Amino acid sequence: MNTTVSSGSEPLRFTGSGAEYFGIWIVNLLLTLVTFGIYSAWAKVRRLQYFYRHTEVAGSSFDFHGSPTKILIGRVVAVLLLVVYNYSVRLHSPLTLFVLIGLAVIMPWLLRNSLRFRLYNTSWRGTRFHFRGTTAGSYRVFLLNGFLALITLYAMLPFAHQRLKAYQHDNSWFGRTRCSFHARAGSFYAIYLGVLGVVALVVGACLALGVGRAIAGYLKLKAEHGHIDPVAMIRTVGVLYLVVALLAVSVGPLFHALITNLIWSNTRLGAHRIECRMSPPGLVWITLSNFVLVVLTLGLYIPFASVRLARFQLEAISVKTAGELQFEAAEPEAIGAVGEEAATAFDFDISL
Amino acid sequence: MLEAHYLDGQSTQLRVVQLTVDGGDLVVAGEGVALKVPFASIRVDERLGRAPRRLRFDAGSFCEVRDLNGLDELLRLAGHADGWVDRIQRRFRFVALALIACAVLVFSCYYWVLPYCAELIAQRLPPTVGESLSAQVLKILDGGVLQPSALGAPRRRALTDALHRLTLPGGGRPTSVLLFRRSPQLGANAFTLPDGTIVVLDDLVTTIGSDPQILAVFAHELGHAQARHSLQLLLRGTVVGGFLALYLGDVSQLLAAAPAAFLQARFSQDFERQADDYASAVLVRNGMSPGLLADALEKLATQHPERAGGGYLASHPATAERIRRLRDLAAAQ
Repeated sequence: MNTTVSSGSEPLRFTGSGAEYFGIWIVNLLLTLVTFGIYSAWAKVRRLQYFYRHTEVAGSSFDFHGSPTKILIGRVVAVLLLVVYNYSVRLHSPLTLFVLIGLAVIMPWLLRNSLRFRLYNTSWRGTRFHFRGTTAGSYRVFLLNGFLALITLYAMLPFAHQRLKAYQHDNSWFGRTRCSFHARAGSFYAIYLGVLGVVALVVGACLALGVGRAIAGYLKLKAEHGHIDPVAMIRTVGVLYLVVALLAVSVGPLFHALITNLIWSNTRLGAHRIECRMSPPGLVWITLSNFVLVVLTLGLYIPFASVRLARFQLEAISVKTAGELQFEAAEPEAIGAVGEEAATAFDFDISL
Repeated sequence: MLEAHYLDGQSTQLRVVQLTVDGGDLVVAGEGVALKVPFASIRVDERLGRAPRRLRFDAGSFCEVRDLNGLDELLRLAGHADGWVDRIQRRFRFVALALIACAVLVFSCYYWVLPYCAELIAQRLPPTVGESLSAQVLKILDGGVLQPSALGAPRRRALTDALHRLTLPGGGRPTSVLLFRRSPQLGANAFTLPDGTIVVLDDLVTTIGSDPQILAVFAHELGHAQARHSLQLLLRGTVVGGFLALYLGDVSQLLAAAPAAFLQARFSQDFERQADDYASAVLVRNGMSPGLLADALEKLATQHPERAGGGYLASHPATAERIRRLRDLAAAQ
């Protein structure tokens, strides 16, 4: 055993390429179509394996071990849940309330299972990750805190977000080594309020500028011609619309970059620190340009876009090592994929 | 000789080893490792891009190889063949073929399979489905764009009676319920709900004026009701929406919703032509001319030119062509 404490930085590297992934993506799509969606479970495994195996740290890559048959069973259950949900919300009967309460009650359990499935099926150098959060804890962070955020009109949303990440990261293990989470709720509030402030500032400036210009133009034209110029009006409104639309699509990536940096830079694996320095304008640029290219190519750019985004996000992360990266594996587990697939079907993004 | 990393699955300790093939066995030798494993018991990961490949042994131990071409050579010696999906996804010719196959499949499904299945299913759905859908749609419309009709009760009764006195091409009489509403936004319009209920707006009645011509429009709507066009649209829309969500959902929900509406628009043109044909058959059967529907369409086009963007004609495209078709049908009588 090496006892000298050496500290260094091990950046994550992503070695995938869009052209390579295109082949996997199109074959996945074709097989999913001809099997009426059944192959999608195998496609998911292959997609995740492509991305995990091309992500390296300290010269070794990650691996994904999920079983396609488990994912397929999970998908079938998730689709049934989705059908029940969609049907019952349209029914408007006492049964609707019953179904909604039922779903709310099983969701935290499913989401906890999803976290267990994802982590347990991720490995590095043959050692797997584990999620050991309690069921009670999942009800607290998903149901109780979610409810708190709702009744306080989202004033407690940053707090709920911080508790969720603490639950996730404090209960994550790599083999026998535990992770820990150190970001405080105050830092979450700072980012939420900061992004909200930027939005308010831009919208306010637009309104002031736009309304001001419109009124000035209106008065000027009315004085000169006795009527207003419709083209000028449309131009002003068009520019405003463009600014607001750009803002609307940039806010998501901006927030994502800031909060991801906060979360990962405050996560430790044993004595090793993780650092994430994703450039917020960079993520806005990647997201917008990917969006435009996907539209222009009728979707054929999707695999290139996925690879580009993965490279940008993953290569922002590095591990600040305290000593050797030496870990022991823990006992094997058995976890179904119902939670994982239900979380996907209901669009719960707990990866943030 | 092929260099690899050996990992025992118990810890993250890397051991540098050399791999060789000895008959049906793989020999792993290096830093504290000396193994001889029957090749038949080894699971070989597929070759994904430039990612290192793993040869997995029982109990979670494995060898990780970075020299992919060297490994291919070793696997060839050992008589291992890669899976067919594995092989096709990294050959340019097969990838190009898969791309063409996807395009052909999607287009043929959209143009032939989907309309065919939607029609088949729409005709076989129990009437209760259409009824519950119609009740919902009407509830939403009545709470929004639709207002109570301002037409007098005798006028409404006369039109309803005229509709129900028609004889259908296959014999029998229309069972569709006729509802009168008014809507400043929708203007001169009429539409059919999934259960066959026909909703007619005041402006359409006042614009056309002549009862036989209004009846011709009803006959057209009966065509939609009889073929269950709105159910078909709903079914097609669900499938198209589902596919787009699957295809583009990873990128953006917004991106998935926009083309769905656009793709939906094409369907309606075929449906209008079908409903016109049915209306002609109804009119002829009742001793009237298909020209009556053409007259009604012309009135809607000329008397409300400013409404061309938002009224009956907007949801019923290519009017000039339809009028010409109806005139031809009338001339053929």
